[in-house]
Amino acid sequence: MDKSKHLESVIRTHQITKEQQLLDKHIQKKNEVKEALEEKYGSNIYPPFNSGSYAKNTAINTKFDFDLVSPFKRNAFGSNGTLEQMYNDVYDFLYDKYKNEAEVKKQKVSIGLEFYADNEGDVIKIDVVPGREFNLDQYKEDENLNLYVYYRYGNFNSGSERIKTNINAQINNIKDRATKEKDSIRKIIRLLKIWKANKGNYPTKSFFLELITIKTFDNNEITGSLWEKLKTVLEYIRDNVTNENFKLIDPGNSSNDLADTLTTYEKQQLSSDMKNMLERISENEENLKTYFPENEKFKEKESVKNGYGANSGIPIPPPKLNFG
Amino acid sequence: MKLKAEKIGLSLEIEDQLLNNMTENGKIYYPNEFGGFLFGYYTNNNKHLIITDSVLPIKFKSSRYNFERSTEGIEDQLYKFHRESPSKFYIGEWHTHPDSNAIASIADILAMRSIISTPNSCIKNPVLLIIGDSKSKVKFSFYVLYNYNLYKYE
Repeated sequence: MDKSKHLESVIRTHQITKEQQLLDKHIQKKNEVKEALEEKYGSNIYPPFNSGSYAKNTAINTKFDFDLVSPFKRNAFGSNGTLEQMYNDVYDFLYDKYKNEAEVKKQKVSIGLEFYADNEGDVIKIDVVPGREFNLDQYKEDENLNLYVYYRYGNFNSGSERIKTNINAQINNIKDRATKEKDSIRKIIRLLKIWKANKGNYPTKSFFLELITIKTFDNNEITGSLWEKLKTVLEYIRDNVTNENFKLIDPGNSSNDLADTLTTYEKQQLSSDMKNMLERISENEENLKTYFPENEKFKEKESVKNGYGANSGIPIPPPKLNFG
Repeated sequence: MKLKAEKIGLSLEIEDQLLNNMTENGKIYYPNEFGGFLFGYYTNNNKHLIITDSVLPIKFKSSRYNFERSTEGIEDQLYKFHRESPSKFYIGEWHTHPDSNAIASIADILAMRSIISTPNSCIKNPVLLIIGDSKSKVKFSFYVLYNYNLYKYE
């Protein structure tokens, strides 16, 4: 089995452009929500922007994450307004506006809008991330934001904590790299996100996987085939994530350590999952397909081209076969 | 009978008479399993399989839940079918599940996978027919191995 060939197919069948219609619906809905926020908050808000994987070019088509960052002015909720007030005000507005067409829920640092399935069965999900500039008019210069932590987020406690970050710096963290390295990094991030999506409700954030992939590239000589590069990243996670001194610095704020978004137990789980995955693939490389499956929906269409396969020569049955 | 594995765009056909023959051969060994080799050829740009013949093994071991055949004597058959027009070749396997359903077991899946990993097997998409034979009715399930997974024809 050519492991890299399989991984390329996994990426190809998960390309977001294969779901063009669903992508268009997300973009349209994101624009609607953006306009609604701008209309409601007027001069108190800077233009909201998309910061999710689509913006970073690491999206996969089985789990769209459209994060609409909404940067508010320092005094948008009064000169003594709190981040909690900002968060709740945005929640109340979105709830009132969309309660009949979507489930509106409070999430870790965002407000989730999950629109009910349309006539074609498509579900659109947009996460609105309210943030506030540090000082009045400072956002235009430094793009720094304070986010409100609604509920416990790894080692960040709910309510009492705020996260300072610069989301544009996060987006540019990949964009600013050399083209060849950037392509490899994006491929590996997509593969890790496919692995994570396949595991259901897994605690590790996609952003964590992005940063640890980049960190692996920063700390290792990463060469070889796609599989060899992925293997190096999996080994790096296995060997480092549980180390006491392990840090994952947010490119948007050097005092944010993304390693804190996972508890000690969750880090152990992540390391052990990488260990098991590597061992199972080493035992039988076909197991790679279990951890990194192709998207069946698009694999089917590609397969139709192929037909039954046969090599030259007269096929000979295996000497012994045992059926149950 | 014509069947399709829609997901992967492959189809097959087989005469009812051939299915009946295999079912009758299986009944001889009831309540144990029994089976054999399938022969046929591909048409329509290799998207369609026509199963034309079944060859019974000369040597085999079987129990109620197991069937193991050998290839003793099969070589002559391979060349005989190959010389026919259209040329036919080994395309898969069949066996019975006495008093049971016609669903592929783990052992069946592993057996199919071992076909493609055997040097000289030459076929990439072996077909599996399971005949689920209970007293009240007989059920046929056809599967094809594609990209290491079994797909059922409907």
